Amino acid sequence: MATANPRAAVDIPHGAVGRAEASTTGAGQPVIAAQDLVVSYGGVVAVAGMSLEVRPGEAVGLIGPNGAGKSSFLAALAGQNRAARGRVLLDGKDVTRLPSYQRARLGLARTFQMTSEFANMTTFENLLTAGMGVQGAALSNVVLHHRSNRAHNREVERQAWAVLHRFDATHIANLYGRELSGGQRRLVEIMRCLMRSPKVLLLDEPMVGVAPHLVARLVSDLKSLRDDGIALVIVEHALEVVKEVSDRVNVMALGRLIASGTYEEVVSNDAVQAAYLG
Amino acid sequence: MLGTLASAVAFGVVLASVIAIAAMGFTVQFGLTNVLNLSYGGIMTIGGFAAYLVASHGLSAWYGLPVGAVAGAIVTLIVGRGIFAVYARRGARVFEMMMVTLGLGLVIDYGLQALSRNNIYEFTVLQSRPFSFGPIILTPTQVTIIGVGLALFVGLEGLLRLTKVGKALRAMAANPALARACGIRTRQIVVLTWLLSGALCGLAGVVYIINSQSVGYTTGELFLPLVIAAAILGGAGSPAGAVLASLLMGVVTQVVAAYGGSLYSTAAGFGVLVVVLLSRPSAVLTKQASEELTLA
Amino acid sequence: MSAWSYYISTLAVYFGVDVLSGISLNLQYGYAGVVNLAYIIFQSVGAYVAAATALGPDTGAGAFQHYIFAASLPFPIPLLLATVAGGALAGVVGLFSLRRMRRDYQGAIMLIVSLIALQVVTADVPLFNGSNGLTGVPRPLSFLPVGPLAYQWVYAGWVFVFCAAVYLLVQWLSRSPWGRALKAMRDQEEAASAIGLNITVLRLQVFVVGGLIAGLSGGLLVEYIGAWSPGAWGYAETFVIFTAIFVGGLGNYRGVVLGVLLVPVVFLQVTQFLPQIGYPGLMDSLEWVVIGLLFMVCLLVRPRGILPERKPIALEGSSLQFAAPGLLHQLRRRLRSL
Repeated sequence: MATANPRAAVDIPHGAVGRAEASTTGAGQPVIAAQDLVVSYGGVVAVAGMSLEVRPGEAVGLIGPNGAGKSSFLAALAGQNRAARGRVLLDGKDVTRLPSYQRARLGLARTFQMTSEFANMTTFENLLTAGMGVQGAALSNVVLHHRSNRAHNREVERQAWAVLHRFDATHIANLYGRELSGGQRRLVEIMRCLMRSPKVLLLDEPMVGVAPHLVARLVSDLKSLRDDGIALVIVEHALEVVKEVSDRVNVMALGRLIASGTYEEVVSNDAVQAAYLG
Repeated sequence: MLGTLASAVAFGVVLASVIAIAAMGFTVQFGLTNVLNLSYGGIMTIGGFAAYLVASHGLSAWYGLPVGAVAGAIVTLIVGRGIFAVYARRGARVFEMMMVTLGLGLVIDYGLQALSRNNIYEFTVLQSRPFSFGPIILTPTQVTIIGVGLALFVGLEGLLRLTKVGKALRAMAANPALARACGIRTRQIVVLTWLLSGALCGLAGVVYIINSQSVGYTTGELFLPLVIAAAILGGAGSPAGAVLASLLMGVVTQVVAAYGGSLYSTAAGFGVLVVVLLSRPSAVLTKQASEELTLA
Repeated sequence: MSAWSYYISTLAVYFGVDVLSGISLNLQYGYAGVVNLAYIIFQSVGAYVAAATALGPDTGAGAFQHYIFAASLPFPIPLLLATVAGGALAGVVGLFSLRRMRRDYQGAIMLIVSLIALQVVTADVPLFNGSNGLTGVPRPLSFLPVGPLAYQWVYAGWVFVFCAAVYLLVQWLSRSPWGRALKAMRDQEEAASAIGLNITVLRLQVFVVGGLIAGLSGGLLVEYIGAWSPGAWGYAETFVIFTAIFVGGLGNYRGVVLGVLLVPVVFLQVTQFLPQIGYPGLMDSLEWVVIGLLFMVCLLVRPRGILPERKPIALEGSSLQFAAPGLLHQLRRRLRSL
């Protein structure tokens, strides 16, 4: 029962949080991959065969005009949508048939287009809920092992404070989710993801509803997550954000990939310009 | 053996007509507003009582039909604009709205019980000689009910498909934001929806009591689940779907009643609703799946 | 004087049973967002099982009621079985009808399930004696050497012991990580999945825990009244408890106690003391009208209820505290906001 935690008493260096469970695959292996994913709703095909590979510590931007299928693709990666065809691989393991909560347990984290903080819980509770883990929240565990859980629970609380300090957010710890501003909600969402030490973070338009002066803050936060070894996939409309954070950019239109490369390459691509304007 | 089955099917078609009138109204209302209105049965009963009042003053019972329709339309408009819209403005979501309609349903049901002194009143329509089609015997009243149902269906479909107003209604039911952006007068359309669905609701109540020959405060109670089942099974907002589903519900309940007794037939009807609600695939893009309320 | 005493002690028993119901519904809806509009069937199955297992065999020449489980099991086994029955039925119903869907559809499904159950029990006479129900249920604590009035109070105390125990247990569960998982499920189901919570299992768990409490409440009630029939349970009974927890304040159990005190007890009982107006039976109808109106007004004027949820305050270096502003402080704040 370890009570001495090196993290608790010391100033938290940027690398500590988030590296706890670095990907076990080698540096060259993609931690998340999609192969020819097809997603359709009713008769409408939203994603028509999209592939992607992201390595640990890599940030991939996903841009494209409205209706291109970016959010649907992200949702399919996360398991919120069922892919009609194709595969999704997490650390080489085929997770296409797995529901979203099982993918989350394998190291996938995500944010949503409309911020998904738990509105009727405090920020601290939001973090605790994510950090308790499957074991911690299980009913049988709560009832049967409640004495030995105390140490684990304290540990999770300490981790939550560490994350709050890292993002300079201790002042919102005891505010209900519904009392937060747009930018703060987004921050809570991201901090919540971190409590699980994810290998992959999927972000769906993270800058929506965030005040301009906070965008720069969030951008640098995302970059530091990338530097910690987390793989990022970012769907964004704000192109400056994409340029800042991404190592690579993929462009989608009408459910397909139409260009891939660095930000500069992609932006000067004729097909891409046509897709946005046409 | 076949005779029993044929009779059961025929009665099923009669019952289906009653369900269909109510379900057409419900589906129009639900399809546009997205409110699961559990006081709909109570308003049906109001329509029935209005018709009874007319008949008890000496007029022919069939005059009850327009009276019931008007009563239903007015009450629904008041309820929709004066009650439901208020909660929607305050940010009530779909479940809270349903609970409001449930509370309102209690108020209507037991208010009617209080007003009617808990009595059940006879409501007879003069019968002439029944028609017989082979083993099937139907009274003229029952045949008329089927006729009324058909006429309303044709009228409603005509309104929705051929008139400008009908098209606006369908557009708004499918995508309210887009409809608003296209300049459709959404507030007026909502008013029209309350009036139209309310009229059908009141009419359904009158037809119901004509069929069952009595009216009391419990009239709408056990009937409503069948109506909701038909409306949702047929697809919210689709009168044709509601009619087809009503046929299914009507025939199923009557056949089960013929062979299993009436208590089990009610349970069977309810069972259909449960199965429908559990299995109706909510395609992500439908208005019903979005849980958004359109009341203004 | 003794008539008054009888009345109050009867009220006390009903109060206790309703508090149990309120705790169950508040756990399910207030904390987990699970809509259990079929609550009454879980209380009923508890009542029926407790009754049927305590009554003797039903066959024989003079038998006038038919039911399953005939066995004269001694106290407290019928009560235990009632609790288990509530949980078991909840498991079956939950497995079959709890899904990810709009909450109003879920509510409608539950309502209909309760209506179906009512039809089935009424029709299937060998099950629980159909519409006549069961009577003559033996009193569990009759081995105590007390007079009838004292027995009333003893029984009320007996019910209160359960209330207190369930209150503390459920409050503890609600403040545990499991309870937080429930709140997450309530607030944002998809996001809760995205952090690894198995929503289907959580939903079923809270439904079954609520069902266990419901079964217990039914057993306690039937062992007091001595009889139970389909007339005693319709969807309106569940609606009263829902109104009570809405009025008292969702998301906290003090609110449940307050709401149950105000709604089923004060509100509905007040009519006993008003002068009789109109025809006999009018007051009963109007009671339901008032409940419907009360719910509608409550949702409009004070949707969160009277007592707010307690916010857990986190302070670095100590563990999570639940803020407990004193009663006076709360009153002052409320007066200021009027």
